[in-house]
Amino acid sequence: MAAEPALTLDGVTKRFGGLAVTQDIRFAVPVGTRTALIGPNGAGKTTLFNLISGVYKIDAGRILLDGRPIQDLPPRKRVQAGLSRSFQNIRLMPHLSVIENIMLGQHTQASDVRSLLSPLAWQRKSRWRAEAVDSMRRAGIDVDPDAPVSGLPYGLRKKIEVVRALMSRPRLLMLDEPAAGLNPRETVELSAFLKSVAWDGLTMLVVEHDMSFVHDLCDRTVVLNFGRMIYDGPTSGVQDDAQVREAYLGSRRVAAKGAGRVA
Amino acid sequence: MSGYLSGVLAIFCINLIFAYGIFVTAAAGQINLGGAGFQAIGAYAAGWLGSTMGTPIWFSIVAAALIAALVGFLISFPVLRTRGVYMVLATFAFGEVVAGFLLHTDVFGGAMGMVVPLHVELWVLVVSSIAVTLVAFYLMATRLGLSMRAVNDYEDAAIVMGVNVRAVQVAAFTIGGAFTGLSGALYALNFGFVEAQYFNALLSIYILLYVLIGGTQTAWGPLAGTVFFTMLPELFRVGGSARYLIFGILIVLMMALRPEGIITRGLVRGLSFRGGARGG
Amino acid sequence: MTGFAARDKGLGGHSRNADAPDPRRTRRRGGKRLARAMSDPTGVAAARISLPAPAIAAAILVVLIGLGVAIGGKVIAHQVVSGLLLGAIYMTVAVAFTLTIGVLNFLNFTIPTLFMLTGMAAWGLLSGGYLTLAGRGAWLAALACGVAVAVAASLLVERFTFRYLKMKHGDATEHAIPLVSSLGFLIIFENLVLITLGSDSQRFAVPFAADLHVAGIVVGVPQLVSCVLAVAVVAALSFVLKRTKVGRALRTIAENPDTASLLGVDVGRVVPVVFILTGLLAGVAGALFTVNYGDVSPFMGDNVGTKAIAAMVLGGVGSIWGAIAGGLVVGLAETLSIQFFGGDSVAMTVWGLVLVIIVLRPKGLFGGAPIGKGKM
Repeated sequence: MAAEPALTLDGVTKRFGGLAVTQDIRFAVPVGTRTALIGPNGAGKTTLFNLISGVYKIDAGRILLDGRPIQDLPPRKRVQAGLSRSFQNIRLMPHLSVIENIMLGQHTQASDVRSLLSPLAWQRKSRWRAEAVDSMRRAGIDVDPDAPVSGLPYGLRKKIEVVRALMSRPRLLMLDEPAAGLNPRETVELSAFLKSVAWDGLTMLVVEHDMSFVHDLCDRTVVLNFGRMIYDGPTSGVQDDAQVREAYLGSRRVAAKGAGRVA
Repeated sequence: MSGYLSGVLAIFCINLIFAYGIFVTAAAGQINLGGAGFQAIGAYAAGWLGSTMGTPIWFSIVAAALIAALVGFLISFPVLRTRGVYMVLATFAFGEVVAGFLLHTDVFGGAMGMVVPLHVELWVLVVSSIAVTLVAFYLMATRLGLSMRAVNDYEDAAIVMGVNVRAVQVAAFTIGGAFTGLSGALYALNFGFVEAQYFNALLSIYILLYVLIGGTQTAWGPLAGTVFFTMLPELFRVGGSARYLIFGILIVLMMALRPEGIITRGLVRGLSFRGGARGG
Repeated sequence: MTGFAARDKGLGGHSRNADAPDPRRTRRRGGKRLARAMSDPTGVAAARISLPAPAIAAAILVVLIGLGVAIGGKVIAHQVVSGLLLGAIYMTVAVAFTLTIGVLNFLNFTIPTLFMLTGMAAWGLLSGGYLTLAGRGAWLAALACGVAVAVAASLLVERFTFRYLKMKHGDATEHAIPLVSSLGFLIIFENLVLITLGSDSQRFAVPFAADLHVAGIVVGVPQLVSCVLAVAVVAALSFVLKRTKVGRALRTIAENPDTASLLGVDVGRVVPVVFILTGLLAGVAGALFTVNYGDVSPFMGDNVGTKAIAAMVLGGVGSIWGAIAGGLVVGLAETLSIQFFGGDSVAMTVWGLVLVIIVLRPKGLFGGAPIGKGKM
């Protein structure tokens, strides 16, 4: 019995003005897998993320989460349906503490009136706080939970944002350049952490530039170029694919040719 | 307690509740420059219910607060279509409409004002202000309060966390309306007389200053702001205009040097560390 | 709520990084607003077709005036002229408000105070006998000094509101910081005047009463000069914005507040220009008011301030031509309605209109093109 893919994009197209930023994107992410979304700058990766999470509305096509169409749902409903994302430029709330940011991630599970109106801060024994502290520790975040996020190092804040995105127990976790700005050691740690939290049925879609991270974490890769999909398959096959090479290296080859002729 | 002191305390309590009313919306990221309008609604509602309809005092107060809350709820929908400077203008316009209506229609006495023959004692004011303060602290400690602060920081990221941003903002306006209306009701019933000229732009401006200078990051802010503004004139025992001049200078300096307000989260955290025991 | 992706008439604009949403923009439920706003970074699509605001404004005015004169004859014509004069003053102050909001997203509450400072300073200098050297031109010198005082005060405001602006971690209320600062300055300036010049209303004597008789209507020379001057000042401003280097820099800041310096604008030197212009506009309006009505007081800014804000909203916040049209309409409406209805409920209706427009049609009634991207 084939389960529905966690995420299905079916002909997704988005235009800004006259420019098609994404064009007829079609791929599916099977449940429990980790898929990378890569491509040169300007290929439309973050746009695609914004389309899936609902920041932008698509112009054509469908987006299915576990087989359910979500392209007409507002972002909040998509989150309730099991979507979660982190941001490329960190979107931790600067005036909230570490633990408060993480607890914010629990919101979809805690939006009934009783949970909304019971105090989080006064009883340290609040179940939400305990859960959040637990997640923090397991992610290896060893700072004071009540510390303000604004003073913390970049790599740590990225991690906190990932933990926050995980708190809603999503079906699909979307990470936008989680390794950007991390040093090699932190990158390896992050990859290990993500593999460790992959509970049954958690699917990941990761935008990344760091290919070693991608190879380590993701078994499948989708490559975008100028808004079109040019590769959808195993990560191992990415570097050998002709179209991908063209996209990344094409201009250099042309330049080399030109230089060759002059010489 | 001397008559003078009890007068100051009464003003303090009323302003504190008023400030919390504006604080609640500011903590969620919305500036309300029409506070005087809400306070007027509460004052006139309580006064009218108590004197014309003859309802018991406690009922008048509660009903007035609820009416103001309802107005807050209703007006939030159009106002929340705006942001930033536009919201300041919209709320300011609302305050002026309310004041203008009360001044120029004779339903509630017009320019002559309305006499309120009932009276609440000072202790009612004190108890109410303590209660409102506690409620505000409690609210900030709940997940709803957390959502409000999140919306204040990054509205679009809060949406993606699943926060119902619109509902949070409407709630802020409603609760804010309730508090502000309550302050008006208590004012009317303690002072015994209300006139529309009192609920003017300058009043809205001052209460907003209380809140923004006190600090909107924690529930301590309105307390600090109200103390600052109510007590400072007593310290500077210079006459009339000079006192306000100093005020103005302090405001400008505050915004230049410490725009986040007197009380910030950092300050509260720093003070509580030094205070020792951080609770289990 | 109208889209602001519309590129206004050739003012150009630079697309912004689509990943960094402007925190000052509106968010509606579901991020639709954000989405719509960001879905047109190149500004090509959705060019809102709006008739040029000056054309609409002129048309409305001509119709109103024509009707008025036709119906009411000389009395009405006289009121119309008065209304236009009042409107010219409101318009100048409204332009100051709208310019500051358009370029700096700053609701500058000191503007009515600068208006007041001009009149009071002029009176203070004149009556204090400091300008006897100027002889018969003393009144003019006094007014010129008054305008200079307004500009200086405006620069003082700039020094303390905008220099200290960059908050490390802003939030949705950080736009209120300069607003609160301007409120502080309002309190400072007003009380300074109260302390030094008292709280009474004063007469400012202007030594001429030449009247023109045009088609049977009496038009005071000061009135005529005022109208012309106000229009000239505002037209000059429009020219500066569209044709000069500084003007281009201002528009760049308006459209790209976060990245203007990256685009080559020396923000530290251009922002004071806004404040100088503000001081000039408010000062000229104050001078015109003083000459035409002859009365100055420490509270003369209050009424003008509220009317000017209303005029700005009517014409569309951020639009210069909208402020012009709005100012004239408010001036006319006020004069004519006082004639017919008495002055009382004017304020309430005006503010009701402001509320409705801000919420439903922030582009204003005249659809003028905003300076910046229309920071909703």
